[in-house]
Amino acid sequence: MQETFLQKRLRDLAAIGVVGIFMFPLFWWALTSFKPMSAIFDKDRVVFFDFVPTFVNYAVTLFGKNRGELAIDSGNTFATSGAGAYDSRPTLIDSLIVAIGSTAVTVILATLAAYALSRMQFRGRQGYLNWILSQRFMPPIAIIVPVVFMFHYLGLRDTRTGLIIVDTLINLPIAVLLLKSFFDDVPADVDEAAMIDGATRFQIFWRVVMPMVKGGIAATAVLCFVFSWTEFLLSLFLTNSIRTLPVKITTFVTSTGSEWGFISALGTSAIIPSFIFILLVQKQLVRGLTLGSLKE
Amino acid sequence: MASVTINNVRKSYGKTEVVHGVSLDIKDGAFVVLLGPSGCGKSTLLRVIAGLEPITSGDISIGGTVVNTLHPKDRNIAMVFQNYALYAHMTVYDNMAFSMQLKKLPKDEIKKKVDWAASILNLTPYLDRQPKQLSGGQRQRVAMGRAIVRDPAVFLFDEPLSNLDAKLRVQMRTEIKELHHKLSTTVVYVTHDQIEAMTMADTIVVLRDGVIEQVGKPLEIYDHPANLFVAEFIGSPSMNILSGEVASENGVPVVQSNGIALPLPMSAKVAAGQKVKFGVRPEHLRPTLGGAGFPAKVSVVEPTGPEIHIYADVGTQEICAITQERLELAPGADIRLVPELSRIHLFDPASGQIIGT
Repeated sequence: MQETFLQKRLRDLAAIGVVGIFMFPLFWWALTSFKPMSAIFDKDRVVFFDFVPTFVNYAVTLFGKNRGELAIDSGNTFATSGAGAYDSRPTLIDSLIVAIGSTAVTVILATLAAYALSRMQFRGRQGYLNWILSQRFMPPIAIIVPVVFMFHYLGLRDTRTGLIIVDTLINLPIAVLLLKSFFDDVPADVDEAAMIDGATRFQIFWRVVMPMVKGGIAATAVLCFVFSWTEFLLSLFLTNSIRTLPVKITTFVTSTGSEWGFISALGTSAIIPSFIFILLVQKQLVRGLTLGSLKE
Repeated sequence: MASVTINNVRKSYGKTEVVHGVSLDIKDGAFVVLLGPSGCGKSTLLRVIAGLEPITSGDISIGGTVVNTLHPKDRNIAMVFQNYALYAHMTVYDNMAFSMQLKKLPKDEIKKKVDWAASILNLTPYLDRQPKQLSGGQRQRVAMGRAIVRDPAVFLFDEPLSNLDAKLRVQMRTEIKELHHKLSTTVVYVTHDQIEAMTMADTIVVLRDGVIEQVGKPLEIYDHPANLFVAEFIGSPSMNILSGEVASENGVPVVQSNGIALPLPMSAKVAAGQKVKFGVRPEHLRPTLGGAGFPAKVSVVEPTGPEIHIYADVGTQEICAITQERLELAPGADIRLVPELSRIHLFDPASGQIIGT
């Protein structure tokens, strides 16, 4: 059926509408982060662009400035509270270490496991696969209390290592299953051709098959990174002094009021590392996510 | 270069035996085609020779050395797979150089070998490309290049042409044969395509259900099939088979089938009353409009150009005749078919084996 001009326009409009609906909260959040408190809390009207942009929220959360000083500098005497509690630089570093660390560990372990599950026949292989899958059935909150105790006695509570381990545990099953399907897409003949060419099992894995599933590895890494970056519950229970971003942000809601400016500034900044990470692996990612359908 | 000897090889997967005691001698420099329908065990046999699957019992020797437990890389073989099995992330050059890079050969030696292989296979302009930038035929050549740089004693081909389109298949067939002439390495080639087998092989091995049905030169197998299976499997359109009983008509032996009498040569080693299957290839049935032969009713006429395929009903059975004569025939026409006496095959209906004529 030929599409009429109107239909085409309507479809474009619908697409723009959908994107708009999804993007608006992000836009509003980013906008809020540049607003002075008076614009955020204006109860008489919705403030879009008629405010004087301020970088106070970023200066406090990302650069550790004292709001009191900044307020005096800018002639705003409304705010007085101290700076230390809102300086989020250590949080960003903790979050990055935990997310990158757990992603790296997950991807390394999962790639090896997935290759083995895809290629090697061993006793209990199917049972093992089911067992991996079953790890996803249970919500993390069901195990949180024993994990807290275990980590406490192991000295892993309130450590980055502890968080890396726990995020890895949560991510591993899905990463293994996902990567296995990518390995399954590479015909076993390729392994055999390499075997005849004289490659050892590890050389086949490292030099032949793994480079062929780069896209899948990238896609898996993105999922793991985003999960770890946004993980809240386990971090909340397992840490005191170390704070990952989602936990840190909740501390901005205090008994004396919610610091919406800081929350939005940190929230907006928190998108950036994920964004950069996805940009880095984007080329691989598109291939990874469409690998199954583009088989040659 | 080396001979390959397969001695009473059996291969089972769990309780299912798929190769039942196959023995085969492949001479040095021979081009042997393993031919058979899907599931006949031909690919398994090839993989067993390659060492990709362990054998359950028996012996395999390559160049006089028993290789039963040797790793594939130590068997001095090279294999070309049906789906090419190229290393998708490497260039054509690296695909071919990979085995030598693993052996840590000097770079200039590797380059010399790859360049040599590329020139034989007309791949020189494509050495820097990746497999995905090549056509099917070129990919197949890369797979062959990867095999020949290793200078193997035996080439193993596993249905290498089945992913190519018809025209390219014919072309690659010739190329593989030329390659064999140039390198005169022993080749074991698996296919289910009888035309490939007939055109390329020195020796065809016909397999069915994990058993060798017949081994012979292509024309030998075509002209003198050892049994009913080979007779029907080789040749297209396939051999006409008519069931009947031997009788004598005026002292001449005939086969009574579908209400007609099919003549037999006097030399046929059959007795009156014996049940037989009478086989004759379509091109050995001469259609005429009158006179000798047995009657048939034309059902379909297929002119192919060089010849005409005539499908006709004899009693309840359809048979096929091929002629180069430009006969004007319409469906429904009555014709007579004259079998060539010296080209008749008789089979025992119970065992399927040939009966001497």
